[in-house]
Amino acid sequence: MSAGLLIEVEQQRPMPLHGRIEAAPGELLALVGPSGAGKTSMLRVAAGLMKPQQGRVQVGGETWCDVAQGLWRPPQQRHVGLVFQHYALMPHLSALGNVALSLLQRPRAEREREAARWLAHVGLTDELMHRRPAQLSGGQQQRVAVARALARAPRLLLLDEPFSAVDMMNRQGLYRLIADLRRELSVPIVLVTHDLHEARLLADRLVVMDAGQVLQAGTPEFVHRAPRTARVADLVGIANRWTGWWEGGDGTEPGWGWLRWGDAAGGDAAVRLRVRDKGRMSPNRAVTFVIPGDAITLADTHMAGQDGHFAAQVDAVRHQGEITMASLTLAVAGGQPLVLTLSGRERRGLQAGQALAVAFDLAQVHLMPLRPAG
Amino acid sequence: MVDWQALILSLELAAVTLLVLLPLGLALGRWLARTPWRGKAWIEALVVLPLVLPPTVLGYYLLVAFGGASPLGKLFADLGLPLTFSFGGLVLASVIFNIPFMVQPVQRAFEAIPRDLAEAAACSGLGAWQTLVRVELPLAWPGILSALVLTFVHTLGEFGVVLMMGGSIPGETKTIAIAIYDRVQAFDLAGADRMALVLLLLSLLAVAASFFATTRLTAAARR
Repeated sequence: MSAGLLIEVEQQRPMPLHGRIEAAPGELLALVGPSGAGKTSMLRVAAGLMKPQQGRVQVGGETWCDVAQGLWRPPQQRHVGLVFQHYALMPHLSALGNVALSLLQRPRAEREREAARWLAHVGLTDELMHRRPAQLSGGQQQRVAVARALARAPRLLLLDEPFSAVDMMNRQGLYRLIADLRRELSVPIVLVTHDLHEARLLADRLVVMDAGQVLQAGTPEFVHRAPRTARVADLVGIANRWTGWWEGGDGTEPGWGWLRWGDAAGGDAAVRLRVRDKGRMSPNRAVTFVIPGDAITLADTHMAGQDGHFAAQVDAVRHQGEITMASLTLAVAGGQPLVLTLSGRERRGLQAGQALAVAFDLAQVHLMPLRPAG
Repeated sequence: MVDWQALILSLELAAVTLLVLLPLGLALGRWLARTPWRGKAWIEALVVLPLVLPPTVLGYYLLVAFGGASPLGKLFADLGLPLTFSFGGLVLASVIFNIPFMVQPVQRAFEAIPRDLAEAAACSGLGAWQTLVRVELPLAWPGILSALVLTFVHTLGEFGVVLMMGGSIPGETKTIAIAIYDRVQAFDLAGADRMALVLLLLSLLAVAASFFATTRLTAAARR
């Protein structure tokens, strides 16, 4: 039995939910995916607010739920800290009263002291502690909700879209709070979010979900470099995705093979790329392939046509603060779209209509089974 | 002349009705607010029924169900607690007649509490009873208060069902509304006038006080 978190769920009703989620003690896991993907349902199963049709929940060596064994612990017996999306603070109680509610088993005087300690810990001033939730800002309410979850001495901390109702200015402070908590708590933390930037910023590992299904889990770096399917690539926001034909290795160099970029018939416009063969794809089949943004660089025009270099035309340029988004058309396979996000000096002087070349680091090309267009 | 005995009897009836109906209304109202059961529409319809039926129809069925000829009525009569033409019978009728006035506001009050508060309470370690006492009742309190006042005032002014079930026995079943009716029948308009005024003022005062309190409570809970 793992010392961290294990959630296994198999159910069709009331909504389909399938998958296995694991986290080590002290690890921060981000559940990402579109709304309706089942992220919150997974949290509810972990917290004991929803009983799955089939499944298990184990935390810190304890079994909280095992449907096959008929074992079920209600939330009261789980020592789980859950920060709700809209905080779910008791409107009739002060911040202090809200946190003290988690400490009912303690003597009254100790309750107040302990609640004040937790509120101070998350950065709430003495004056604010006596206010009711409606008199606090979104960010302050969020801190109260976190303090309430911590006061429970949780073996598992669950955060359900905790930043969705907080403005950008206050998010930075809350990100720091979460980062601090990670260091001091040695329990698994699960964060539900649909903000990929947030997930990459905070999480040790991502769990990508869609339509009630866990699609892939791994470090943000890994998921972005090697999405398992085209759907995962879409969900983690990989902008550049194309289709091609995987020929497979030619026997000359193990671990490498040929990818034909263009139609399956291999017309004149098709280009053959020498890319990594991870051994997961059988040869001679249509594939989807991606390449991470940082494996694409701008190059001199005269390099076009050399290995991994393509001529391109700039279609549109959008400067947004410190970054620039450019859409280009690559002169390959009848013209393929490419989106670039640039932040360095090279972004200046880029303008629509310009001809240039881009270089791909072909070792970073990642192949996936082809998903039907749609 | 005000029939003080009738007024006191009405106040007693209203108080006893509240005592019986409060726990019943809380339990039923909260259950209706939370149950996912689909058949609850039928229960809700039954709850509203006393509101839409003429008091005479309700009184008639109560007579049939609890009169001396019915098994239930006979049982209670044998125990020395006849359910017709007695104070006990009035209480029973009054409780049934007031169910919608109690249950509906209570149900609305519990429905208005966001569902995630109870879940947050459970995750904070609160049992069902603790959640009820520390979270739900304080939040539902304005609604419960208005249910109490409505029921109280409605019982004071109850006429049709009382007449059917209780008749007009002084000190036993002759409530203020019946007394007013008696005075009018006896052409003592001055007496009827004064008692009507007392009832009017009492009702107005109670309802106004409850509105005032509800507004303040609700504002306090949001502040």
